[in-house]
Amino acid sequence: MTAVNARPNSTPNSAVSWIKVRLFPNMASGIVTLLLLPVVVYLAYRSFLFVAINGRWEVIQRNLTLFMQGTFPRDEQWRIVVQLILMGLALGFGTATALAASADRAREAGLPFARQRPWQMARRFWPLILFVLVLLYFANTSAPWLVMLVALAVIGVGATARFLPTRLRNLGWILMALSLIAGFQVVSGTTGRSWLATATIVSIGVWISVRLERLETLPRLAAKTVLVALAAAVVFGIYTFVTVPGIGWDRWSGLHLTLWVSALAIVLSFPLGLLLALARRSTLPALRALATGYIELIRGVPLITLLFMGQFILGFMLPAAADPSSVTRAIAAMTLFTAAYVAEIVRGGLQALPYGQTEAAQAVGLPPGKTMRLVILPQALRAVIPAMVGQFISIFKDSSLLFIIGINEFLGVRSLVHAQADFRSIAHAETLVFIAFGYWAFAYSMSRESQRLERRLRVGL
Amino acid sequence: MRVLRVVGQIVAVVGVFLLLRWLFGNLIDNSRRGGISLDFGFLNRPTQFQIPNAPDFNPRSPVWQMVVVGIKNTFLASVFGIALAGVLGLIIGISRLSQNWLTSRLAAVYVEFFRNIPPLVIILFFAFAVFLHGPLPNLREAFEVGFPGTSHNLFIFSLEQWGVPSLADAGNLGYFGLAVAGGLAVAALIWRWRTRVHDETGDPHHRVLWTFGVLFALLMVAYVLLGEPFRITWPTLSENRRRLIDGFAINAGFISVAGALGLYTASHVAEIFRGSILAVAKGQTEAASALALTNFQRYRFVILPQAIRIALPPLINQSLNLVKNTSLAAAVAYAEITNLTQASIGNGRPAVPSIVILMAVYLSFSLIISLILNVVNRRIQLVAR
Repeated sequence: MTAVNARPNSTPNSAVSWIKVRLFPNMASGIVTLLLLPVVVYLAYRSFLFVAINGRWEVIQRNLTLFMQGTFPRDEQWRIVVQLILMGLALGFGTATALAASADRAREAGLPFARQRPWQMARRFWPLILFVLVLLYFANTSAPWLVMLVALAVIGVGATARFLPTRLRNLGWILMALSLIAGFQVVSGTTGRSWLATATIVSIGVWISVRLERLETLPRLAAKTVLVALAAAVVFGIYTFVTVPGIGWDRWSGLHLTLWVSALAIVLSFPLGLLLALARRSTLPALRALATGYIELIRGVPLITLLFMGQFILGFMLPAAADPSSVTRAIAAMTLFTAAYVAEIVRGGLQALPYGQTEAAQAVGLPPGKTMRLVILPQALRAVIPAMVGQFISIFKDSSLLFIIGINEFLGVRSLVHAQADFRSIAHAETLVFIAFGYWAFAYSMSRESQRLERRLRVGL
Repeated sequence: MRVLRVVGQIVAVVGVFLLLRWLFGNLIDNSRRGGISLDFGFLNRPTQFQIPNAPDFNPRSPVWQMVVVGIKNTFLASVFGIALAGVLGLIIGISRLSQNWLTSRLAAVYVEFFRNIPPLVIILFFAFAVFLHGPLPNLREAFEVGFPGTSHNLFIFSLEQWGVPSLADAGNLGYFGLAVAGGLAVAALIWRWRTRVHDETGDPHHRVLWTFGVLFALLMVAYVLLGEPFRITWPTLSENRRRLIDGFAINAGFISVAGALGLYTASHVAEIFRGSILAVAKGQTEAASALALTNFQRYRFVILPQAIRIALPPLINQSLNLVKNTSLAAAVAYAEITNLTQASIGNGRPAVPSIVILMAVYLSFSLIISLILNVVNRRIQLVAR
């Protein structure tokens, strides 16, 4: 009797059998392999020559700061360093809270939960890590290395948010939002109405973390309102007495501006897009017509025409005193543009939800507002998360158009680099390959995440 | 409740109306104060700048003629971009499903690379790294690729223009064009006739043979009757090697825009084809294999016809995206409508009406394409039940 567990005898030469099965399974396929192989080898050889030997990469090395922060005042560089560290903190808070929240849910459901190890995390974001390593390779001083190490350490500090009690899990998100806002305001300053954002987040934090369960409903709401008002007043007080003047975003540029502009456009466009989607789905004909008209009009024209409108017309459409800066106008145009696409994505999510959900909510006697807020939207929005990430990738790539209207974001910095006497007519391929790699690292990481979310949430429209 | 609904709608409409009135009120106030024109009278005044490589156009031509040139160039770049993206995308999409490891990996690398970088970066790469500061020589030292056995040039490569062979009117090209149109109509009828014969009698249809045979014969007759209506012109450099005479000159800007957008959109098209082929029910593949169809027959007669049905709507959407993306030519030297509008605003033409025209042009492109989409959707919808 032969051993039942005998392995197939192809194991010893598995490499050979792999080549046979995957490269030469039949005549036609084998010919294709033989034709393609020299092409691939040649392309790989040329790419290697370009990357390792012939490329004039000093154009990146000498202008690395320009690519990263553009014409941002060099004396104020510390602001961006502090911002980077605060972003690390926010990242720590965010991931720790997200992981802890899934662990909580798994525990409630009595399911096993495998915590992701840091190296597993790193493998998920390998394109971004590669990009950071390339940046560090091009760094001229040790300062960027130091900043990176501090930022990594700070991610660890933020990760302590997972020790928050389950009851206060949402506080982790509040802490993340606060570090994001702090990071933004370290650069942009705390003057003007900047206290509003902080006060809003602090108020939400107070509202959700103060329970006062022993009080009746009405006194509880009253007490919480008073506390929230107090907190907001404290924030306002701090912002009034301690003002840090900053550098407005009209003076930001480089990759720094690209990242902020795309993040702001997607965040600002979400509420508008949600309203448009609801309006387009509503039973009120006038609302539906307005929303449909807006969405189709915007989707019918390219983004660049809206940016032109922002540059050339928007200034005339506002009172003369308003006079927004060109970055503000560009962000407005991108927000109005993205909102139409977000609306269509959300509408897709709403349409994909079985009508039985609405009927069930009505059957238990929920009024229309609560049906939407408690039953429909949570499910619909969860289903559109991957598509929203896709839209974010799209707006991130589209932010390169700002260069056409004269704003020096990541791609626009190129023209500053090639205005230098040393690089006037050389190394154009090098700068463009570097820029393409930068965009690719971010976009590809996000697209992998979006595919992962699609699998994990078991959605996909 | 009913009252609330009506009031709500009235409030929304009045709110939007007031917002628009405020915006346009400001616009009119500001334009009156700043002496900015809002009317379209400028369309009849001279453009005052030259469009490179537009022979019938000079700085005294009115602005509306510039708009026409722009629309024509937008259309040309779109057509070539869509053709390139379609062919390349189909090949890459099928390759990505190949069992050959090398082919599928190459296709995957292509898709994941081009899908995740901005199309503008690809356009600039062509314009700056391939053409302007790239390896190609300028027109004076252009590469000339000869047609073997003759003294003619088949191709001319330079960083400003590429030359390819073309047809020139030798007297009756217009009539020959009419003959081509007529021939195509006859060929279409023959195609349908053969299909009907096949459907009714089961005889082999030989559609391709019949159709192209008749078309070729008709065109030959027309060629002889019209007495050599055209001749082939080969790309040639002028005496002083400053410009291309004869042949067809393709500008670097056109190659940058159409080529880059073709490569970029091909990555999306490939994903659409891959998705639609995967979406064809697995039983269809198994049924085809059970009938002992070859690999090619299985794709040609079973899978692709069904996959195309799924793929067409998103493909038409991608074409629309490509048309809208040709506006990125504003960053390089290709005289399509956005680029020209930007130049003419920079030259002092009123911004508001110029941008209104620009948006109207793109809206009509979008409208036409969505009309096509609707027609296609209606025609390919499976009639169930």
